[in-house]
Amino acid sequence: MKKSISKYVFLLLFVSVFTVSCTSDDRDDIVQETPISGAYNNGLFILNEGGFGSSNASITFLDNDDQVYNSIFSGVNNRDLGDVAQSIGFNEDNAYVVVNNSSTIEIVNRNTFESIATTTSMIVNPRFIEFSDSKGFITNWGDPNDVSDDYVAVLNLTTNQVETKIPVAEGPEKLVIHNGKLYVAHQGGYGYGNSVTVIDVETQAVVTSIEVADVPSGIIVANGSLYVLCSGKAPFTNDETVAKLFKINTATDTVEASLTFPSEIHPSFLELDNNNLYYTIAGDVYVVSIIDFQLPTTPIFQTSNNGLESLYGFKVNNGSIYIADAKDYDSNGEVFIYDSTGILQQQFSVEIIPNSFYINN
Amino acid sequence: MKLLVFIFLTCVSFTNALYSQTDSINVLGEVFLTTTRLKDSVYTTNTIKLKDSVLRLNQASLTNLLNFNSTIYLKENGLGMVSSPSFRGTTASQTAVLWNGININSQTTGQTDFNTINTRGFNTIEVTAGGGSVTNGSGAIGGSINLINEITYNTGFTNDLFINYGAYNTYGVNYQTQYASKKTSVMLGLSRNASDNNYPYPETDQINVNGQYHNNNVSFASGFKLNSKNTINVFANLYKGRRNFSVPTPNALRTKYTDFNTRSLIEWESYIGDFNSNLKLATTTEEYEYFANINSDFFTFGNVQNFIAKYKLDYLVSRKMLLSAGATYTHNNGRGSDIQSKTRNLAAATLSLKHEISKSFLYEIGLRQETNEDFGNPLLYSFGVHYKASSFYQLKINTSKNFRIPTYNDLYWTGLGNPNLKPETSYQAEMSHLFSHKNAMLTVTGYYNQVTDLLRYVPGNDGVFRPENTNEVEIYGLEGIFSYKKKIASHSVSFNATYAYTVSENKETDKQLIYVPFHKLTAAFGYGYKNLSAYYQYLNNGEVFTTTDTISANILDSYMVANLGIDYTLGRQKNYKIGVQILNLWDEAYESVLNRPLPGRNFNFYLNLNF
Repeated sequence: MKKSISKYVFLLLFVSVFTVSCTSDDRDDIVQETPISGAYNNGLFILNEGGFGSSNASITFLDNDDQVYNSIFSGVNNRDLGDVAQSIGFNEDNAYVVVNNSSTIEIVNRNTFESIATTTSMIVNPRFIEFSDSKGFITNWGDPNDVSDDYVAVLNLTTNQVETKIPVAEGPEKLVIHNGKLYVAHQGGYGYGNSVTVIDVETQAVVTSIEVADVPSGIIVANGSLYVLCSGKAPFTNDETVAKLFKINTATDTVEASLTFPSEIHPSFLELDNNNLYYTIAGDVYVVSIIDFQLPTTPIFQTSNNGLESLYGFKVNNGSIYIADAKDYDSNGEVFIYDSTGILQQQFSVEIIPNSFYINN
Repeated sequence: MKLLVFIFLTCVSFTNALYSQTDSINVLGEVFLTTTRLKDSVYTTNTIKLKDSVLRLNQASLTNLLNFNSTIYLKENGLGMVSSPSFRGTTASQTAVLWNGININSQTTGQTDFNTINTRGFNTIEVTAGGGSVTNGSGAIGGSINLINEITYNTGFTNDLFINYGAYNTYGVNYQTQYASKKTSVMLGLSRNASDNNYPYPETDQINVNGQYHNNNVSFASGFKLNSKNTINVFANLYKGRRNFSVPTPNALRTKYTDFNTRSLIEWESYIGDFNSNLKLATTTEEYEYFANINSDFFTFGNVQNFIAKYKLDYLVSRKMLLSAGATYTHNNGRGSDIQSKTRNLAAATLSLKHEISKSFLYEIGLRQETNEDFGNPLLYSFGVHYKASSFYQLKINTSKNFRIPTYNDLYWTGLGNPNLKPETSYQAEMSHLFSHKNAMLTVTGYYNQVTDLLRYVPGNDGVFRPENTNEVEIYGLEGIFSYKKKIASHSVSFNATYAYTVSENKETDKQLIYVPFHKLTAAFGYGYKNLSAYYQYLNNGEVFTTTDTISANILDSYMVANLGIDYTLGRQKNYKIGVQILNLWDEAYESVLNRPLPGRNFNFYLNLNF
């Protein structure tokens, strides 16, 4: 009898191995301390878009004491931000996180990051947001394969609902508001755009369309003029085109001047700081003065010297140049902060595929 | 007559006990020459054979079957969605999937989506670990999976109906009819599986949105013994599936995907004296359509037609030596929304020798010369020995060079394809120890695999990903496979388990590849008493890295899942069976791909009629 009892005990032990879960839920993750609510009003947000389909977009916060806090949205709100966070817009006390592949706008308090609302209705593949009085304007690709369903969604900032859609040409991307007019750059969705749509903010009607070069990826207003950087079509399109930088008169909405890049050069981003326009070519940072308006031949600095692999986010503000490195797009990225002469000031790890920077103060 | 109720006992049989087969080299004539004996078989590696009875106990997808019954790690983008394997720490396209000996990996992606294989259409599935390019060609680096319709004779007219229904309106109907006389065997199988697949995500208030799927499968297998020396076999398989891809977040644009695959094969076997000749002619087609917006008519597609001819001649040099020579020709013709129409031709010649030096020692050598200049005409080889020390212990050693050629997408994708790609190359070696004792069998295998020129999509400084031959991957690991069965009076018990320890490192970074667990354990217990049988399946997958920097914040937790099933056999002829399964018995909240939760506890009922 004794033997059979020990047999059962053994069996029980044996069986318990296959019934009791010994999984890594119990692993001690390094839990990141999130600053208490209300602690986000002074610092820098870094948006990490996350892997496509992985629903792991996140936001990193760098406070003024250089302390880095990851995943602040999920830390505060106890849920994930979503799939591919494209950009953030700020208006009054709110931050509007545009989550592209989730087709949502997450509206949070910019200082506490507590969720206020999630807008989903009439949002399909949203890209960027800008504000004018009580309205938000959000570019949407719709179905990326459909060239005729793209639009600018008009968000009522009181109800946080989309009121109407303004149909536009394919691939509306970045947008700026100036003098009561909304300028929408058509970088292209799955195709390639080459225009800027001008919309009257008051009437929400399309006023005109300005033809620029292929792939207008950067758009900015400086000294009353609109500057548009067109990257040109890349070689893999089998229809490579030249890149150009346009200066557009915002009174007449016509091209006033343009600079043409050498062929096979495809610049990206367009940032303004202190009467200078900044852009990048591969990992190199260039500057154009809006006064001379001449293309430089040499960069102000090369990020590859600091081991930067994939320049994916770029911002210039108040003499500081912020650069996001997406690395292999399959690991945590890094942020590099330079001064205006290209001296590296700061470098730190963030989360997956950092794509943009926002200063909150 | 008492019907044997051991389900698991007979189901998972390990062909490790191969010595009995090599012995048959001595027995000339029918026994040895009945094809499968030496055809494509390698004596110095290990194969798990999953028979009909075990196929029935698992859900109809190849993903589910292999997840619970093999060392292969599977990642599934939500239940029934795209699913890919990692066999011995390799990438998804480094597992060769064969249909009755014909490689059916997609020419566009290089992989087989394991949720587009309906296991109900086959009566045997063989899982062979390790390199097999000499016999199975491109892609057999981590291992090979062969979907087999075994042809049986002399069983008369039989019909088999299997119906299952369960949670989320999931159902399967599988009907097989067979007529087999002494010289002719014809089998037709029809199968449909479908599900609303709207399961709740455990521990959340979300449900799986847009995950519904259905698929239909027709399988046909026939054999005609023309005379004592010639047999013709004809096989066909048709698969048509439609899936909505479940959305990662609820408001995302909904998509759908359709697959249409056809396979047909005619095989002529003949035995003349000491010669055994085998000719296979096959055509396969693969076609997908992807709708990025379910409400739009716009879709992208890929479409490849393949013609494969395989010839092999075996010559029994002496009673203990078998020499084989063969040739393979493959013609692919593909096009797609992003691939201009392209054809390619591949040919290879093979030569192999199996020699039994003594009753306890055998060696085999295989060579394969590829003849496609684009890929540098690689010469592949395998060499192995098998030593049978006693009835208790056997040793197998095998080493091989294997390869995988770039796919249509890699080479020809408009603007992004890289026509200068080289094949991936793998050099590997393994050693297996086989222990048999009465009703128990244990196999322990250690292996080493070096893969060079790994094909990866690498982002350029423009952020665009292009395929490149990149780094080297070094893989090593340990596998254990155990089986035990016993019958005492009316009781029968069985236990099967597999365990894999896998290290798969990128040599550039010395980091484990993403989505390769260090540990995977499966176990299955079976118990039968008279008309009743019960079984318990268990799976424990170790944690995996989801980012290449392998930082702990991005780890996907390990998980364990278990299924419990019970069935009862009825009828005067014991030809009806009813059963119930509790899937994910412990209601584990788990995912095999980041943020793609799989179902919690759910029920499935089945009914099996034989008439």
